[in-house]
Amino acid sequence: MPRPKILVVDDDPDLVRALRLRLRANNYDVTTASDGYTAIAQAQKERPALIILDLGLPVGDGFVVLDRLQTSDTLSGVPVIVLSARDPQTNEERALKAGAAAFFQKPADNEELMNVIRASLGTEAPAVPAHTAAWPS
Amino acid sequence: MDHQTTNVLLIEDNPGDADLVRLRLVEGAFPVSVNCVNRLSDGLASLTRETPSVVLLDLNLPDSHGAETFRRVMDHAPNVPVVVLSGQDDEVLAMKALHQGVQDYLVKGDISSKHLERAIRYAVERQGLARALEIAQKQQIDFKNQFLSHVSHELRTPLTCIHQYVSLLLDGLAGPLAPEQTDHLKTVFKSVNQLHAMIRDLLEATRAESGKMKIEPRCIALGELVQQAVAMLRPTAEEKKIGLEIGLDQRLPLVHADPDRVLEVLINLIDNAIKFTPAEGSVMVQASMVEADPGFVYISVNDTGRGIGPEAKALIFERLYQDPDSVDNNRSGLGLGLFICREIVRLHEGRIWVSSELAQGSTFTFTLPTYSLAKLLAPVITSEGRLRPAFVLMKVELTPLSIPPRGNWKETWQQCSEILRHCVYLDKDLVLPPMGTSGSTETFFVLASTDMQSSGIMATRIREQLERVDGLKTKCRVSITTTPVEFRQENPPETLERQIQSVAGCVTTMILASRERKQLHVVKGD
Repeated sequence: MPRPKILVVDDDPDLVRALRLRLRANNYDVTTASDGYTAIAQAQKERPALIILDLGLPVGDGFVVLDRLQTSDTLSGVPVIVLSARDPQTNEERALKAGAAAFFQKPADNEELMNVIRASLGTEAPAVPAHTAAWPS
Repeated sequence: MDHQTTNVLLIEDNPGDADLVRLRLVEGAFPVSVNCVNRLSDGLASLTRETPSVVLLDLNLPDSHGAETFRRVMDHAPNVPVVVLSGQDDEVLAMKALHQGVQDYLVKGDISSKHLERAIRYAVERQGLARALEIAQKQQIDFKNQFLSHVSHELRTPLTCIHQYVSLLLDGLAGPLAPEQTDHLKTVFKSVNQLHAMIRDLLEATRAESGKMKIEPRCIALGELVQQAVAMLRPTAEEKKIGLEIGLDQRLPLVHADPDRVLEVLINLIDNAIKFTPAEGSVMVQASMVEADPGFVYISVNDTGRGIGPEAKALIFERLYQDPDSVDNNRSGLGLGLFICREIVRLHEGRIWVSSELAQGSTFTFTLPTYSLAKLLAPVITSEGRLRPAFVLMKVELTPLSIPPRGNWKETWQQCSEILRHCVYLDKDLVLPPMGTSGSTETFFVLASTDMQSSGIMATRIREQLERVDGLKTKCRVSITTTPVEFRQENPPETLERQIQSVAGCVTTMILASRERKQLHVVKGD
């Protein structure tokens, strides 16, 4: 069975590298983009099963990307999980209205993030240990 | 202002006094234009149309007297300086006016041209300064808030990176670790968590200070929240060998509160209690009613820690307060936790306090308003001073088909709640305020003054209307169940108030029972 492909869009290369490692360990293929323009191009080319999207991006921020995805015939069905350092009080509602399936504030609890990814894709949980405790809420 | 015309609005009903003031103004050295009215209402109307340089105000007018006169002028035009014209005998009142923001007062009959000119000039200057100060203060607060929001965002970026890589290592995704390495990394991870909590508190406290903290109160069962908070902190307590117990009043009413915020308060208080209690001690979380204060539920967190001295007790809820004697002061955070708790409780119109003796442990107590079903139900379950004959409780559940729900789930269920309101008869049915979610299912309760037979029609109508919502069928499943409200009627017949209480009590029990069943089901499902 082919591994589902996830597009990670973030302008912090270190974070992208860490997410790539974690997602691969969870049986996902990963493709990446570091700005809004490349994100759209990459999404059209790679047809990911899911997109993890930062909001503060160069060349078209996360909201522009969400808008483009929603108006695209081929990409509007792809679930988008927003992962941003921005304040949820002012951005969560807006992101969900713009079509995002979920909003996580950085730093996000990995286990929760993986659960939402799995639920969105309908994939089984792989046997990857998670020693890291949940964030205090 | 030397060369500009000063526009004076003179509000004075005595024609003689008005003429005299006008004369003194015209005699003065600076150019002035006077608009004179003799009633407060005309003065306020004039202030709506245009902004004068100054208002000269007699306090006793045909349509307003005394202190109320300047209060109304200042409410209406807060940025226009006011100079009060008082009689010989009401200087006390004039002084009071000064304390409340009037710029100056002049005693009628003792007004020279010079006097008047100077009073007006100074009034205008002082008002200008006060206004500039106010603007500067506001700008400063805005700047501070923006700064904190920016800093918190910028701090999160590197913090996220540290968090990601430490958790990669801990989860063994970068190769196996020696036990000692794992130990060290866990310490790093704990510190990252603390840093994260501090950044969050910083932003939260800023919000509270600037009045931007918001709550979304709903009708909630407190017991579930207490259990949730205790479950989250049990591992921390067990690590320190501290007993963590719950004592809930069996007849606890529902409360009207924001569940996320209340959970935040509970976690904060319990976490503190564990932190300040030595090993082998115990922490008890209780919720109960107090007879003398039936409108509130009292929630308390009691510990067997070393207690709080009287000085600390007075300051403990203040921003940035840290106990100077705290053993692990370097790890106790920013001192914002209890401040945030107080602000959250205050937004709910509850109270929070601490009672403690040194070496005797502490009890933090806060109150939350009960959700008074009787008050809400009274208008719909009665008609012409009598109880209606029959009631049913309808439960409408929206269960999302996917987790997380597709699209904006909150918007979806809010839309559904709006539709429900349109489906009922406003004078005899009531859509109860939203209940807390259980899992991700959103539950609404409707109390209808009808019998089981007729309630079927209503249920069908609701289902039809809900299913018409665009895309609702692809997002969630709708289930509607109806149960008759079987309330006990006493013989001889009791008062109407007692009857309403009895129906409300019965409905509350039904709601709680249906929630408990669901809770059990969830537990079994896990």
